[in-house]
Amino acid sequence: MSEKRIFDHPVLKFDRGQEFYFEFEGKKIKAYEGETIASALYADGLTKFTESKILERPRGFFCAIGKCSSCIMSVNGRPHVRTCVTQAEENMKVERHGARPKFPGIDVGRGKEIKEKEIEIAIIGGGPAGLMAAITAAKLGSEVHLFDEGSNPGGQLIKQTHQFFGSHEEDAGTRGIVIGENLAEEAQKLGVNIHPKTKVLGYYFDRKVAVERKGRFEIYDVGGIVYAGGAIENYLAFENNDFPGVYGAGGVQTLMNEEGIVPGEKVLMVGSGNVGLIVSYQLLQAGVDVAEVIEALPTIGGYQVHASKIRRAGVPIQTSHTIVKAVGEDEVEGAVVHQVDEDWKKVEGTERKIDCDIICLAVGLRPDTSFLRQADCEMEYVAELGGFVPLRTEDMRTTTKGIYVAGDSAGIEEATVAALEGKLAGAALHEELNEEDEETKRLKREAKKGLEQMRKGPYGKVPRLGVKTCTVDEEVCG
Amino acid sequence: MSGHENTGVVRKEDMNIPDEERIEKGPVVIMECVENIPCNPCVAVCSFDAVKMKEITDTPEIDFDTCTGCGLCVTECPGLAIFVIDCSYSEDKCKVTVPYEYLPVPEEGDEVMALDRKGEEVEKAEVTDVRKSGKTYAVTLEVDRKNVWNVRGFEVIG
Amino acid sequence: MTIVVCRCEDVTEEDIVEAIEEGYDELEKLKRHLRLGMGPCQGKTCMLIARRILGRETGKSVDDMDTPTARPPSQPVPFSLLASPEECEEDE
Ligand code: SF4
Ligand code: SF4
Ligand code: FES
Ligand code: FES
Repeated sequence: MSEKRIFDHPVLKFDRGQEFYFEFEGKKIKAYEGETIASALYADGLTKFTESKILERPRGFFCAIGKCSSCIMSVNGRPHVRTCVTQAEENMKVERHGARPKFPGIDVGRGKEIKEKEIEIAIIGGGPAGLMAAITAAKLGSEVHLFDEGSNPGGQLIKQTHQFFGSHEEDAGTRGIVIGENLAEEAQKLGVNIHPKTKVLGYYFDRKVAVERKGRFEIYDVGGIVYAGGAIENYLAFENNDFPGVYGAGGVQTLMNEEGIVPGEKVLMVGSGNVGLIVSYQLLQAGVDVAEVIEALPTIGGYQVHASKIRRAGVPIQTSHTIVKAVGEDEVEGAVVHQVDEDWKKVEGTERKIDCDIICLAVGLRPDTSFLRQADCEMEYVAELGGFVPLRTEDMRTTTKGIYVAGDSAGIEEATVAALEGKLAGAALHEELNEEDEETKRLKREAKKGLEQMRKGPYGKVPRLGVKTCTVDEEVCG
Repeated sequence: MSGHENTGVVRKEDMNIPDEERIEKGPVVIMECVENIPCNPCVAVCSFDAVKMKEITDTPEIDFDTCTGCGLCVTECPGLAIFVIDCSYSEDKCKVTVPYEYLPVPEEGDEVMALDRKGEEVEKAEVTDVRKSGKTYAVTLEVDRKNVWNVRGFEVIG
Repeated sequence: MTIVVCRCEDVTEEDIVEAIEEGYDELEKLKRHLRLGMGPCQGKTCMLIARRILGRETGKSVDDMDTPTARPPSQPVPFSLLASPEECEEDE
């Protein structure tokens, strides 16, 4: 088995913590402090994380950010633990339980008194949107609590090792990873109460947020919410699409750039949007071979500069191509692709097999909005923004009073846009809860101007149209 | 179809390039950034004000007479789309400076394999300069004059 | 040939097509019939593909389709978080 942990990397440094061992089905597994259970197991060579319920097919991880539940195992007797977002601990006992976990018994924990607390502002999600919302509201004087599932806020910025686009003032040219750290530090300084490793479990009437934190159930009675829960990776239908080795691009990015573990040896990238192109480049940087990038549309989806970058490294980009099958016994050993015509019909005679051990799906993201649906926010399908998004005012307020949205949950766009939306939502919510003042108005104007700038030009056209469709008047929002 | 939209490879005619006279005069920047993307670090970094943009989504507008070919912008471009060429010092050789973010990092004097925009091998070339800013290197190669419009990357040999 | 739509509940494309033929032609109906979207990820992974299949089979456009209800908890939690086998006790 080849070493999966990355030690030398051109732009990243992995400061691994203390080495220790935990137990997986009777076997000792090495892990480093800070590593998730899934990462340590993957680095050890495990690819089959669970067995599916009915078809009894092996499954690997998929999203690596706690959204898809493909990685659930039993940890110290507790079933259904998402191992990709749970840190490994010394002497932990981990087991696969497949579809039929054992009843945990009553000694795994005990109901504790439910804590209920009143707070002014709850920010849900610690990515660029959530952090900027928190920073802005705190700067204006609000009491802000930020809930984030990860151990360090920064959201998906943490895995962005490339320098950022956007305007120089908005941190372009700085690597995402650094922007994330800077924002988190600023939030901390401004007195934002950051609650890491906290799962938001749902919304209850009237403006109550339920969370699981430090093993207990807590209810926050809040004055207002900025929801910045981010996005979900799209999945794709093709034969054997559930094989271990078929991973989401975000999952691959997390594993590689946050955890310092390469997914495999040779990758077929499906999708040529910026995510597909950037992750391909990052794979090359980590020393992984990228066989090809395929794209179903007739043109490349992402920026020319990103495409040129990987072409210079010899990676072909095949447009009008689609994947039909993952080849292998019970995990990926290759892929079958073919060309499609304008009507998405197969072009006969173009079918061919590609050698690869990983199929990486970069077929788009869609807004994660389940919390907002629980809160009765009115939704609308906006293809330009990646799926169902909440209706909102110009100030990012949803149709439910006191609930704002920002970032990918409001529509899939770039990180800079997410940060600007966060700034706008944070200021607007502060304004709703307080007296009007000049500084708040100024920050709102600044954010709106930035957003307008970012959505100019041909690449801004799609989001510009999308945002127009789902932005409604104050009155509609009630 | 063969435009960069389909191939990811830009052609000379897609770009805004300096004229022959300017190229002969001394080092000069080549920005292979041809779409209207929201990005502008190249404007901010140039201390000679040689790069301009009205809107952030414009393509960089370069004043080739002001550009000194200093190469500062090469490592600042998040698209790794900026190169510097120097055709002023020899009859048959030219220098090409390319951004580089892989391992291993070559040293001055090393021989590397120069690659074109498709990653295809062009010629063996000598590394004449290695500069670093942040995590990005700007590596200068000496190539055959006829290859100055082809070489845009390299691979370390061995 | 196995094309999986819902990874959590093991629902394949074939299952969905069959169910639609039998008259389960809305997402909420498919959900109740097949458990589509009712696994631990709460439909995060599968709903998009399910929508596409429903659209292809019935001719409905994506925006005309219903969206199954979302309820808390959004993620699996242990029973002990919510209920106690004994009387509640203070921790720490
Ligand atoms: S090479 Fe130097 S002078 Fe020319 S555009 Fe770049 S930074 Fe400016
Ligand atoms: S910094 Fe690079 S990618 Fe950005 S506009 Fe300038 S040349 Fe283009
Ligand atoms: S939840 Fe762990 S891989 Fe998706
Ligand atoms: S994939 Fe359908 S509920 Fe998780």
